[in-house]
Amino acid sequence: MRDNHNETSEMKTAYHTARNCRHYAMCKIDFLGSGVCDSGLEKHYVSFYPQGRMILYETLAENKIPVTEKCIEIADSCDLCGKCDYQCYFLNEMRPSMVMKALKNHVETFIKNGGRVKIAEKDAMLEEIQRIVGADWATNDEAVAATYSHDLSAISDPKYPDYIVLPGTKEEIASLVKLFRKNNIKYTIRGNGQNLLGFAVNEGVILDLNRMKTIDFDEKNWLVNVGSGVTAFDLQKQAQKRGYRINAAEPAAILCANIMCSGIMSTFSTTYGINADNFINAEFVDNEGSFFNLNDITSPNLYSYKNLQHSDSPGICVSASIRLHPVTNDEKGILVPFETLDNALDFIQDCSLRRIGLALGVVGAEYISTFLSPTKKKAAEIKSIFVDKLNIPWLVVVIGDKYAIRTISEMGFPFFDQNMFNSLYLGLPSLLKANWLDLVKNLSDDEPYSFLKIKGFAELLETALSPSPALYSQEIDPELRPFFEKLFSRQEMTDLVWLNMYRIMSTRLGRKKPFLPALMYLPVDKILIDELSGKFKLIADNHQIDNDFGFITPIDNGKRCIFEYDFFYDYNDPEEIQRIRQVAMEVNMLIDDYSVKTGTVKGHPYVLYQGFCRKENLLYS
Amino acid sequence: MSDNSKSITALTGATGFLGSHLMAGMLLKGYRIVVFGRPAKNESLTVRISRLLRWFGIENFSDQVSCVETDLSQDNLGIEYEEYSRLCSIVNIVIHCASDTSFSESRREKVMTANIKNLNGVLEFSRNARVDFFHYISTAYVAGLTSSICKEILPSTNTFTNVYEESKALAENIISQYCNKNSIKHSIIRPSIVYGDSQTGRSLKFNALYFPLRSAQSIKDIYLNDIHNNGGKKAVKNGIFLDEDGYLFLPLKIYLPVEGDLNIIPVDYFVNASIKIIESSSRSSIYHLTSNFPTTMKIVAKYYEQLMKVRGIGILYGQPPANLIRNPAEELFDRFIEPYRPYLADKRVFDRTNTNQVTDNLNPPEFTFEIFKICMEYAIKVNWGESIFVNKEN
Repeated sequence: MRDNHNETSEMKTAYHTARNCRHYAMCKIDFLGSGVCDSGLEKHYVSFYPQGRMILYETLAENKIPVTEKCIEIADSCDLCGKCDYQCYFLNEMRPSMVMKALKNHVETFIKNGGRVKIAEKDAMLEEIQRIVGADWATNDEAVAATYSHDLSAISDPKYPDYIVLPGTKEEIASLVKLFRKNNIKYTIRGNGQNLLGFAVNEGVILDLNRMKTIDFDEKNWLVNVGSGVTAFDLQKQAQKRGYRINAAEPAAILCANIMCSGIMSTFSTTYGINADNFINAEFVDNEGSFFNLNDITSPNLYSYKNLQHSDSPGICVSASIRLHPVTNDEKGILVPFETLDNALDFIQDCSLRRIGLALGVVGAEYISTFLSPTKKKAAEIKSIFVDKLNIPWLVVVIGDKYAIRTISEMGFPFFDQNMFNSLYLGLPSLLKANWLDLVKNLSDDEPYSFLKIKGFAELLETALSPSPALYSQEIDPELRPFFEKLFSRQEMTDLVWLNMYRIMSTRLGRKKPFLPALMYLPVDKILIDELSGKFKLIADNHQIDNDFGFITPIDNGKRCIFEYDFFYDYNDPEEIQRIRQVAMEVNMLIDDYSVKTGTVKGHPYVLYQGFCRKENLLYS
Repeated sequence: MSDNSKSITALTGATGFLGSHLMAGMLLKGYRIVVFGRPAKNESLTVRISRLLRWFGIENFSDQVSCVETDLSQDNLGIEYEEYSRLCSIVNIVIHCASDTSFSESRREKVMTANIKNLNGVLEFSRNARVDFFHYISTAYVAGLTSSICKEILPSTNTFTNVYEESKALAENIISQYCNKNSIKHSIIRPSIVYGDSQTGRSLKFNALYFPLRSAQSIKDIYLNDIHNNGGKKAVKNGIFLDEDGYLFLPLKIYLPVEGDLNIIPVDYFVNASIKIIESSSRSSIYHLTSNFPTTMKIVAKYYEQLMKVRGIGILYGQPPANLIRNPAEELFDRFIEPYRPYLADKRVFDRTNTNQVTDNLNPPEFTFEIFKICMEYAIKVNWGESIFVNKEN
């Protein structure tokens, strides 16, 4: 139970912020170029990153754990640099530094008041583990355990592990597996805790693979071999420096874990594919502590796919050889507006069939408004501008080279080019006050969005909206404005190619509320998609759960697509958590029904531990 | 008709521009009106009409109005049988003002449904009610693309500027045939382009004449913002600047296909002339509510420049040269006015013999700078209709 006596308003705000941490692990990557928490980089445990401290403060404030030795170290290691504020404000409009301060105060007050700091007692097992990985990389301290009790989703209940271990090599992992097996100890692998189903939290041992960050390029074979602690963002950054691109999952997702759990997919999957299309080989430590390579002839066949069956883990993926893709210097991003989802689906299917564009994704007004807006409030206003004033409920994001963009233009589709996107983004406050939008809508009478084809419209839009980092940043908390002005002066922050290849565009989607996505593979069938969307909405509405279309990306020449539908919930509301669990169950049952009925719909949860499968086996078997 | 309170008029389109003004005018003259109309998304027809009455400042006349929610596409106008029969027994006059005024070819089906298909139910009601008169609000432009004198006779052309004109011409012929067959006396009232009240500037709609003005105003605002807040970099690039006397030099060359007129009438004239027609018609006839002294876009542009402190607007007649390079403002303006272009320089001349006869030569006022000013100022005050029901004083 939480003791509310003597609680200051700062403490209340800090507690509220801590409870709303999204656990996305975005504070572990330098996606804004503003740096990452130094202590996290040094210590590697999530406990030493802002995310860990948020959980720790929440747990301490609720008196769930005592002040421990590690707790003091974690609190002391924060130098209140404020980097986390930049990152978290960008994503969720939150300021974690107040939690960091509150944590430090909590610990200082505890000590000042003569509190007894709990020293975790070493047991024989911990000593055994530390003999393998070194004393720094294994602990049973309750404070550290608390920071590993959550994953990204609140669907699963928090679980406190007995030991947290950060191995540094595959050999250490093999030794650990043998040790755990011998002593019948349950262990769970954790990348960055991005799992939605609670598979990264458990009792027993948590093996956090974050120290294994090796990145070895094999450029002559268009490959890069990555260790099991490398994030999509960090690898993409390295690949980009060398003139390549990888097909990246969410920026903070660990690549090996991502392949293992769900297979890599993104809007670039239109051309780069999914699952086994993304790697050449991978190395594993099996469940007995032996090594195997995916390409070994005697290895388990991880390329197969069993639908409607949950699989067991084949072992621990300790490295993977990821495919590198070439990049041309004329790549650009555009946004093609549509009045109906059907028309947008026709367009992506046609483009995919004709191999036009590198990345394609249908998104709704909620998605684009959330990304464009610096705050929740503005997102709602912008959504109304898109839907009501401009009649743009749907947009297709296209990344392509100059020939692809030219072709789309020749196909007759009006679109927002990169310049117009810059204006919309950095001129957003002016867009909210633009009286001329009503006139522009009238121009769509004969041909939807024909105003986008007006010669010089991009220049007029720029003139009308006066986009600038300063204008955009005026909506942001005053203390953070100078940083954001500088941030949005950087070209990549408004570059559709960059934003998509690093998957930054979707990172604000959980700002209003955390969300649970329903993901599935299915044909680009308008009736089927419409039917499923309608039923998802009905299920969610019946349980008073906010819901919205996520995205659709065509794959395999438009023969299939990835469809995400999102369910938003407050994970501090136990009653709402019950309702979202019910929604998740009903949605999964619905997808299963469709999977049986159609033979073409494949629910994403079954890809867990089957992420190495061949795309063809997943989609067509 | 000497005692308006004894007759009951069924009016369609009362929530639209012309219909609402006509309703207000008729109520002031003592008419009792049954409004046939639709509810909006979240508002009943009664709420919509009450709001309009408030806007006209005639809430006290609400006992002269009753509202019947109808669906003109349905049998019996979507009204329950008993209520339909009751209405048939009390209505003496039908004024059919409801119309889809879209010019867009992409909305052809909707326009044709609203303007042609839905006509049937209203005509049937008029027959079943054995009304004394059926009045139809059409448009002067049913004459189609012609440069000759447009007579007050049924249209016979097949060449139209847009689907709206086409649908109205077709409707006139259907009405005439139906009414003649069923011995219903009928009038067809054909206004040209209608703008706001010439005395007050008040208007509920801001399309047609207002559209080019609003477009120019938007473009002006965009560049003024650039000049005031961004050092005018974009403005300078396009030869746009603020003169020392505060005038904005905005080079906007507007090409119109032929040298012609802009035939506009104020809504107060439309209301007064229509009521005269309704009250004085004794036989079936067609009436042009048009101006004998139409203005031109050159004059309107001059008025605009004077009122809005702008220079540089040029009205040019004929086709633009093939190698013409337009600035972005001109490109946008050109697209803005495209649907209205045929009406901005019009060679058509409208015969008004019937109108003059029944309205005692009631003519619309000449479109002066004062009228332009009062109408523009009102339009800007209510943000071109966006805030019309926000501020009570509007």
